[in-house]
Amino acid sequence: MDCRFRSIFKILNVNLKHNFLPHLFISLVIVFFTPALFGIASLNAREAAQPLERLLSLVGIVLLVPIFLPEQNENIRDLIRSKRTDYLAVCMLRLLYSVFFLAAIIGVFTWIMQCRESEVTIRHFVGGFASALFLGSLGIFFAGLCQNTIIGYMLSLIYYIANFALKDELKGFYLFSMSAGSFTEKYWLLGGSVFVLAITFVLLKYIRNS
Amino acid sequence: MLFLKECKKVLFSLTFFVYFITVLAIYLTQFQYDGREALERPVPGYNDYGMVAKEIPEIMMPAAVESLVCEYLSGSFTAYPYGFVKYVKLTENKKMQLAKIISEVSGITAQELDSFEGFEQGGYYMDENGYLFYQEPVIPKITMPENLTYEHFRELMKEADRIIGGGSKYSDEFIVGNFSLVPKTYEDALAEYEQFINEDKITTAYARLYCDYLGIDLAILPVFVAVALANLDKRSRMEQLAYARKISSTKLIFTRFFALISVMMIPVVLTTVLAGNLVNNLYPGYAVDSFAIYRYMIGWLVPNIMVASAVGMLLTEISSGLLAIFAQGAWWLTSIFAATGGLTGRIGRFTLVMRHNNLMKRDVFYAQWENVVFNRTFYTVISIAGVALTALIYEQKRRGRINGLPFQIDLQNFKRQSKA
Repeated sequence: MDCRFRSIFKILNVNLKHNFLPHLFISLVIVFFTPALFGIASLNAREAAQPLERLLSLVGIVLLVPIFLPEQNENIRDLIRSKRTDYLAVCMLRLLYSVFFLAAIIGVFTWIMQCRESEVTIRHFVGGFASALFLGSLGIFFAGLCQNTIIGYMLSLIYYIANFALKDELKGFYLFSMSAGSFTEKYWLLGGSVFVLAITFVLLKYIRNS
Repeated sequence: MLFLKECKKVLFSLTFFVYFITVLAIYLTQFQYDGREALERPVPGYNDYGMVAKEIPEIMMPAAVESLVCEYLSGSFTAYPYGFVKYVKLTENKKMQLAKIISEVSGITAQELDSFEGFEQGGYYMDENGYLFYQEPVIPKITMPENLTYEHFRELMKEADRIIGGGSKYSDEFIVGNFSLVPKTYEDALAEYEQFINEDKITTAYARLYCDYLGIDLAILPVFVAVALANLDKRSRMEQLAYARKISSTKLIFTRFFALISVMMIPVVLTTVLAGNLVNNLYPGYAVDSFAIYRYMIGWLVPNIMVASAVGMLLTEISSGLLAIFAQGAWWLTSIFAATGGLTGRIGRFTLVMRHNNLMKRDVFYAQWENVVFNRTFYTVISIAGVALTALIYEQKRRGRINGLPFQIDLQNFKRQSKA
């Protein structure tokens, strides 16, 4: 047991240090950029949803999609194949810490908005997180199945763009619903994210086994 | 032939497939949707032909002053400094500066403003029966000085905008559209329609709309295709083999670039043909300019594809595809957000994504024609310069003067080799 924890700690340490930092840095750039584009002080509930849904949701793409990125390098992929540790378990670990940092970033941002006297509640945190998680999950799905992270980024960004024009068509999976005064879509987005992530790992397991 | 080989690589890549489908989808969901019905000639006798912004000082000045007083009393100023709405709160010092301007245009002293109680925001509200009604704002009485000239008023509004931080309702860009809207007359509507038929020859107006829709995505999607192509050698561990080839770096990189542009033009040309046919069928019997849409496609959309591809190639070569995607993404996003305040004719000299989401307002578009020409020429030239720089860096990598990611130059080695 102790050995397993040590192994997890080692994987976490290596991945956070070598794979995660550039993405975290880009996420923080987006976070610092957001108050310049939007106001974050003294906003009512709908206005406060805008920076969370329209800009911070992109942090989901930045943090989550690259969980398969290190293995895009053929040399690393060959090395990983030779290891005893299950590759998908490593990816799952990457996913978990990425989701943790995503929640932390959106949580801290929501808290700052509250301190700046905006009408934000826990719903804003959950809503912003749901949109970001769904975008990231879509990217993970395509990046995993196509073994191509660029495709993951591309399709999740296309989905984000589609939300500006196809609000009615996207129905429950509309990312900017809180800005329009509705929270129901967030349940669909959260459920959809869990489903998409589960199906990605199940399919990858199946592909690897076969 | 190298060009055909590179074209084949792009054509059969997954990123190009996604790009192709997306371009078709934008055409079908956006342009084709807007082109489902022909515009009809206005008929006399209607009550409402829409509104039009006309610079009429007598209408603009009282409306702008009332709004400024309301915003001052509410303590929050609505602005669009980067496109998206921002609610600005002023520091005490800035409030004092603004109070002076308000005093000058409204006759309300700073003391009266700060001691005023019972402020109520005016606007349209709904009563218990669901009917809309207009409520006048509750503010101190405004008495505009008789000797206040329009020119001086505009200067003061510019100053107010500067204090608020730019992009406010009082800026040169927004003041007419916000405070000087008048109902369009039948004659106005007819004149606009005649312009659409006679001067735009119908297709030119549709060409602008088509380029507006496609231009949004063509300023970002090509970066993915370019990065995927640039990464192909790395992924298949062919980089060193490619370095050893006889072909010059300039020829190789420019061939790749032109292959990218050529292949990415396929869905664009396809949708342009479809768009041209759609418009021709929508207006049978009218004299249309059949080549307008092709001219606009080349002048408006090709530079978008070129610049996004060049950024993809250059940054992938300098650092990584990831950086290229994020850099282009950030640039694109800023440009898109900056246009959110108005989608008609907001074209600056360096605007990446040009917008004109309107079949009318030809004059607004052509008022910025110089910017349009400069903008598209600039991006064409800058793309070619970017590709030339890519070739230079590629050459340095081949010679072993630049190594690895991110951008590491072995300076000692570089000096030694330079001397040699």
